[in-house]
Amino acid sequence: MESFKSKSISAALATATCTLLGTSVAAPVLAQEEPAWVFNTALLYYGEADGRIQDGSVKGLVQRRFVDDRVLSIGFAVDALTGATPNGAIPFDGVQTFTAPSGESTYKTAPGDMPKDDSFQDVRASLTVNWSQPLGRLFTINAGLSGSSEFDYTHYGANLGFTRDLNKRNTTLSLGIAASRDAISPVGGVPIPFSSMLDRSKQREDGPRPPNRTGDQTKDVYDVVFGVTQVVNRNLLVQLDYSLSASSGYLNDPYKILSLVDAVTGDPLPRTPVPGKKGPVHQYRYENRPDSHVKQSFYGQAKLFMGGKVLDASYRFMTDDWGIHSHTVDTHFRVPFTNGNYLEPHFRYYTQTAADFYQISLVDGTQAFTFASADYRLGDFDAFTVGLKYGWKSRFGKEMSLRLEYYKQNGNAPAEQVIGNQAGRVLYPDLDAIIAQFSYQFEL
Amino acid sequence: MARKRGLDRAIRNTFLLAVFALMGTGSAAEPPFDVAQYHGKVVVVDFWASWCVPCRRSFPWLNQMYNKYAADGLVIIGIDTDTNADDATEFLRDFPPDFKIVYDPTGMLAGQYGIEAMPTSFVINRRGEIVASHLGFRVKKQHEYEQVIRDALSESGHD
Amino acid sequence: MHSVKAGTIKMTHTRVSSFLVALLGAALVGCSSMGVEPWQRDVLAKEEMQLITDPVEASIDDHIYFSKEASSGGRGFGGGGCGCN
Repeated sequence: MESFKSKSISAALATATCTLLGTSVAAPVLAQEEPAWVFNTALLYYGEADGRIQDGSVKGLVQRRFVDDRVLSIGFAVDALTGATPNGAIPFDGVQTFTAPSGESTYKTAPGDMPKDDSFQDVRASLTVNWSQPLGRLFTINAGLSGSSEFDYTHYGANLGFTRDLNKRNTTLSLGIAASRDAISPVGGVPIPFSSMLDRSKQREDGPRPPNRTGDQTKDVYDVVFGVTQVVNRNLLVQLDYSLSASSGYLNDPYKILSLVDAVTGDPLPRTPVPGKKGPVHQYRYENRPDSHVKQSFYGQAKLFMGGKVLDASYRFMTDDWGIHSHTVDTHFRVPFTNGNYLEPHFRYYTQTAADFYQISLVDGTQAFTFASADYRLGDFDAFTVGLKYGWKSRFGKEMSLRLEYYKQNGNAPAEQVIGNQAGRVLYPDLDAIIAQFSYQFEL
Repeated sequence: MARKRGLDRAIRNTFLLAVFALMGTGSAAEPPFDVAQYHGKVVVVDFWASWCVPCRRSFPWLNQMYNKYAADGLVIIGIDTDTNADDATEFLRDFPPDFKIVYDPTGMLAGQYGIEAMPTSFVINRRGEIVASHLGFRVKKQHEYEQVIRDALSESGHD
Repeated sequence: MHSVKAGTIKMTHTRVSSFLVALLGAALVGCSSMGVEPWQRDVLAKEEMQLITDPVEASIDDHIYFSKEASSGGRGFGGGGCGCN
């Protein structure tokens, strides 16, 4: 299944942080009104070109404010996903056949096309609950739980956070920790790393597991984030954060494979399905990643008020022990109009290096790998997002906004890994996607 | 009020009060605010601003205190620190005060009083001494705040 | 033979330490004279000046980019705002 899911606690913490902690911590209390209930909802459409992933979702955050800055926040999201996703095999001049994850059907890729698995649809539901309150005058605490579930993946997490104000509340120190346990039960079972993709076979419910599959797996993630927020002057606020994320357990994508290719031509090695069965006509191996992943991020953000307009700019540097490092620059510029409506252009730039074990294909016989993955998300690519958001207030004072964005990824296959005929083919599945979101906020 | 300060704090407060009073009578730029005119009464000086949510919470309570104890000699003065008086207009329309409002748009009074939180209230007894202050406003501490006012009111105003 | 790079961890260890020291230093030393008086936070109290203006949108973006990229999160929480109470 496409990893459109809250796999790691970083995402859960980010989700928790962003949906809950960000507005429920005592210090940034909204000054305009103080309603008991605040509802923040959004409808989202995310769609990729070339028949790839499409996601429609409803998301919401409900905040119940109690006396003296105590806040209960409940966040929910329901996503429906469909569409095809690159499975990690490389394109080839001939037809390629793959067995679907369920093992019960096959799908084909036309000559020259990027192989994509189109056999999945999924519905994901998630829930987060968070409580925040002051402890003494200069201290706040927040705690929360999160959970999400989809057909082949379940996540449970807990988070705890503290803030301490100093210097007449010009400086805020923050500390957040989170832990989660994810359970992975892929369609068709967990493939044994580097085992071959087998022919299609009808599975009996209680039948024996196929020879290349093992039982369900789990993954644990621990996160910590430490930050300093500083008021610089009346119009400028800055924040610096350091975060550490450690994942362990099953970190593979159970649906991703690599093509086994000829050492000279670079073409996928042929294979003959068992007589009477349908299956792949080339050889593919399931991927394998380390069972531990440690990531560190250094993040800085500034918000600058410019006579009514607001510039929000942030930079993040991420580095991990898989050899990946990335830079993210994200900017929003809000321009208000006299009637209270606003326009907000958005530009984001992202670049990452490939994981040490990123391989566009496996060469039979001459190389022995401990870890290898052709997942494009571990590759070397640049990405940018351009978008525009328009916000307005309805006749009854409800805040609404519409956001339209374009996201593009351009990747590169490492030159030293390109073999023979592969040189003439597109080896990295560039991404084009549209993001459309409608938001509606109201208070009671 | 929650915080009763030590001797040095009382001395500092009295000094500030003197400066405060002198500023009020001597300066032509600021609206005159002479604390001396309230000698014999208990004065609550409350610094607030239109963008401050706990200030919204405190206004109904301040009104309640004023209406309850004005006859006993309570005076409440709300000092608005908004740089633009128009911002205060909407706030005052939503939370109309029964007590006196003074404007401090340059923040001079706030600075002289050494305000460290919004809102901040000072209780000045009948002899003109600051006897208590509280940083911020907590709905759950209303009774504590009220008790300090009652204590100051029940004190004799004569030396 | 491909294996996880141990050198990367060593290299970033010193970087991490220096960054943490810088953060703490900034918090405790450099920041004590910076900032505004408590009654000067009118701009900082505005909704559009909060570090996370729209938490639902922030979580949507985090989720999209986490699913399509190898990096995630990094953002902290707390601070700014009206600084009341």
